[in-house]
Amino acid sequence: MKNYLKLVNFEFNRIAKLFTVLLGITFVAQMIGVIVQSRNYLNMANEKIYKEMLPQAQFLENFGQMSFLQITRSIWFFGPIALCIAGVAFYIFFIWYRDWIGKNTFIYRLLMLPTSRLNIFYAKITTILIMTFGFVAIQLIIIPIEMLVMKAMVPNEFRLDMGVMEVLTIMPELTLIYPRSIMQFFFNYGLGLLAVSVLFTGILFERSFKWKGILAGLLYSAIAVVVLILPLLLHEFVLNSYFYPIELFVLEIVMGLIVFAASIWVSGFLLKKKVTV
Amino acid sequence: MIEVKDIEKKFGRKKILKGVSFTANKGEITCLIGINGVGKTTILKAIMALTPFHKGQILIDGKPIDKHSFEKITFIPDSLTMLPHMTIAEAMEFMKDFYTCWNQKRANELLGFFRLDPSNRISSLSKGNTAKVNLLLGLALDVDYVLMDEPFSGIDLFSREEIANVFTSHLIENRGVIITTHEIGDIEHLLDKVVLLDDGMVTKEFSAEEARENEGKSVIDVMREVYQK
Repeated sequence: MKNYLKLVNFEFNRIAKLFTVLLGITFVAQMIGVIVQSRNYLNMANEKIYKEMLPQAQFLENFGQMSFLQITRSIWFFGPIALCIAGVAFYIFFIWYRDWIGKNTFIYRLLMLPTSRLNIFYAKITTILIMTFGFVAIQLIIIPIEMLVMKAMVPNEFRLDMGVMEVLTIMPELTLIYPRSIMQFFFNYGLGLLAVSVLFTGILFERSFKWKGILAGLLYSAIAVVVLILPLLLHEFVLNSYFYPIELFVLEIVMGLIVFAASIWVSGFLLKKKVTV
Repeated sequence: MIEVKDIEKKFGRKKILKGVSFTANKGEITCLIGINGVGKTTILKAIMALTPFHKGQILIDGKPIDKHSFEKITFIPDSLTMLPHMTIAEAMEFMKDFYTCWNQKRANELLGFFRLDPSNRISSLSKGNTAKVNLLLGLALDVDYVLMDEPFSGIDLFSREEIANVFTSHLIENRGVIITTHEIGDIEHLLDKVVLLDDGMVTKEFSAEEARENEGKSVIDVMREVYQK
């Protein structure tokens, strides 16, 4: 356990710079988005009210008040989120391959540590989780700050104030990242964790058997997906909608746990017996 | 004792090791000699469970390798196994963090021995100093067995001499060492046992001292006999 925590700390320190840079980009880009969108709205209001002499009430009726949703729907807001998601996706692979590439092959050291080799797997998957939740949590902190900036820029009568939760609930794209219920949270992130564990296993197949390993990894991933959706397939095509929704849900959780356990077991086996440096 | 028993290893369809067997005792320096591609590094990796083998068995003090073995045996590959952005001090800290057998006193001694500056970044080190840091990180572990892969490869004469001096010092004493090298001249007089490899097999395993005393032959003489037959 102690070695696992040390490895997590070590792995996280290795991505701390990338993590900070991505957070910085997110903060700056979204803040620019707030300023740009607010100014666009205000410029339009000035144009209509002072140049085209449209009464304020008429303007508000025609164009509506400015809400934070206008900002969240802009590329300035979604762009950096997509970049962070891409960053995590890239790092899922890079977190393994970086230890093999270059002339200083760190994987030698990792595999020769006097601890279970599975701790390397656990530490790497934990780092991905910390990275993901770090982005999600800090985004939650940034949104109220962005709302304050918008409030400071757009006068009260032109503004429709919304709470953070309200914004997150209205945007369907954001509900993936910020689920509405605790069950949905465990479902979304559990599925994500499962996907990462299957990908890690695929990567270890490749690291163990090279070209044949890529095929084995793809085959393993395909089997994992089939096992995971097996209850849905049976329900839909064989058993004629036999299960109640809650039964189906429980079965899916069981299948998810089976796939997760299998990924850990296979990864442990590959790290211990088959991996090659 | 390290016992390598009849190991076989294939890369694709090519057999790299064809039933290699030898032993290496504690307190002795055993040298694996063979041309490039004969499988010397693969044998060391197989001992450390860094590459699988298809047949045979490797035992360390009578037991197959497990996670606890890494407090007992260490491998010093021909490239440094630390992150390039780390300083030497950070690399030592990393080792201290994970290995209970890390001997800080010996690490400091080795720093002095090799005249290394702990604040230097690994990426900025010369090839000779990189090899010395590599040795430092391996030898500062209080382990019974040390495996070294080509410690003299591609480094200057003076660094080679400094590294060769390690073998005559107390830093190696009482440990079992398996070394692969081309630069046999630097350490020939220090070797206890020699394992000659050719075409994935052990062609001869002999005691260097016995060859010297009984037959009046140096290791190089025996190598000539075997390889130029």
